[in-house]
Amino acid sequence: MGRSWGTWVLVGGLVVAHFVLHLGLGFGRGAPDLLTIGLLLASREVGVGAAAAVGLAFGLLEDALGVLAFGANGVTMAAIGIVGAFMRDLFLGDSRLFVISYFFAGKWMRDLLHWLMIGEELRQPFAQEVLLQGIVAAAYAALVGIVLLSLTGRTGEQL
Amino acid sequence: MPYGPEPETPGARHQVMFAAGIMILALAIPYMSDGFQQQIAVTLQASALAPFIAMQERLTDRRTRADEIDFLQSEMDSLVAVTSTLSALADENRGLRELLGLAERAGPRFLPATVLRPGTPGSESMFLVDVGANDGVAEGAPVVSARGLVGRILEVRERNAVGMDWTHPDFRASAMLVDGGMYGLVENVRGEFREEDRLLLNGTAYHEAIPPGSLVVTSGLAGLLPRGIPIGRIDATAEVQGSWRKSYWLRPMVDLGSVTHVLVETVAGGTDVADLWVAEPGVDPVSAAPTGAARVPGP
Repeated sequence: MGRSWGTWVLVGGLVVAHFVLHLGLGFGRGAPDLLTIGLLLASREVGVGAAAAVGLAFGLLEDALGVLAFGANGVTMAAIGIVGAFMRDLFLGDSRLFVISYFFAGKWMRDLLHWLMIGEELRQPFAQEVLLQGIVAAAYAALVGIVLLSLTGRTGEQL
Repeated sequence: MPYGPEPETPGARHQVMFAAGIMILALAIPYMSDGFQQQIAVTLQASALAPFIAMQERLTDRRTRADEIDFLQSEMDSLVAVTSTLSALADENRGLRELLGLAERAGPRFLPATVLRPGTPGSESMFLVDVGANDGVAEGAPVVSARGLVGRILEVRERNAVGMDWTHPDFRASAMLVDGGMYGLVENVRGEFREEDRLLLNGTAYHEAIPPGSLVVTSGLAGLLPRGIPIGRIDATAEVQGSWRKSYWLRPMVDLGSVTHVLVETVAGGTDVADLWVAEPGVDPVSAAPTGAARVPGP
């Protein structure tokens, strides 16, 4: 219970920090995608349905800031939440490599799904948006994720 | 015992169904009406996202104010630069007008000239004027401004001449009070710094005191300088030797740092130029104000 409570505090802090950095301070791509990191952490704590609901809520928060393709983030984040919750049943991650891979794959999949969802009119070229920027953003998120877990003393525990 | 999949619990089945419902809802949202989507967005913006939007607005305001401050600062700097330039131009204009008035009174006897300062080591107290022997300038000719004596010409070339101002160690001028009441010799006294250079009225009679502010002009004795050019005003007693001689510090009429244009006397000059520095209406010729405008009596 104590571990779960700490995780939700961390997730809440990540959500606030995400919008402070991206929306409040306007850092854009310079700031990591803390919302996805928070969702990937939260989805390990709850069931599939709750993870999907959390993902949808997070996605709608981002959709509320966009004029076009409303709902794309909602679908994407709900799917990521479901996948993250399923991953808990498939992998018992307690190594740094798993954590890094988990964050990297989750963030990259989020960018890929979002690219697919927003429609052809709004898409950037696949190589640029998903392969280049997506991989860089995924690596950034994985780095920030592992640093956050280290700072909160959660490395070595089962994620 | 046969090996098979784990039996599904009712809770897990509910979670999967709940997740499927959420996914269907998420997939339906993009196809909802624009009005409904906008209503969701506005609701979230006005609630959960409001603090972050307000933060961005404050940050934008501060950036805008910082830009405005930078812009205003640059505008103020430009205005200060323009104002300082105008001030210098106004000073130069005033000096030229004064010199023009003097030149009109002097007629062809004095030639207008531009002063050039070499600015090289060893050339302190020296200046060049752009008139020379071809214009009728001779060695020893006085160089004056609208306020009074600047110096005199030392060396004449065809088209220009070299002069020394009153800060030169060799500067000497026979002088008298403007009313002719006392005579003496004005010389330069070097200070520890150039800014401390002063003029000294020396060799005056001991038994007569000169009130501060009295105007001292050239006396015309020895024929080096014509009579009546303002030199300075009595500032204070400098030295008393025994009971037979006094000397006085003078406040020079001409501030050399602001002299850019002068008049140089030509060979056609006479011995008295007192009428050139006439008193302007409402100006006390013996006041402390260094106007240089004073009625100088004739010989």
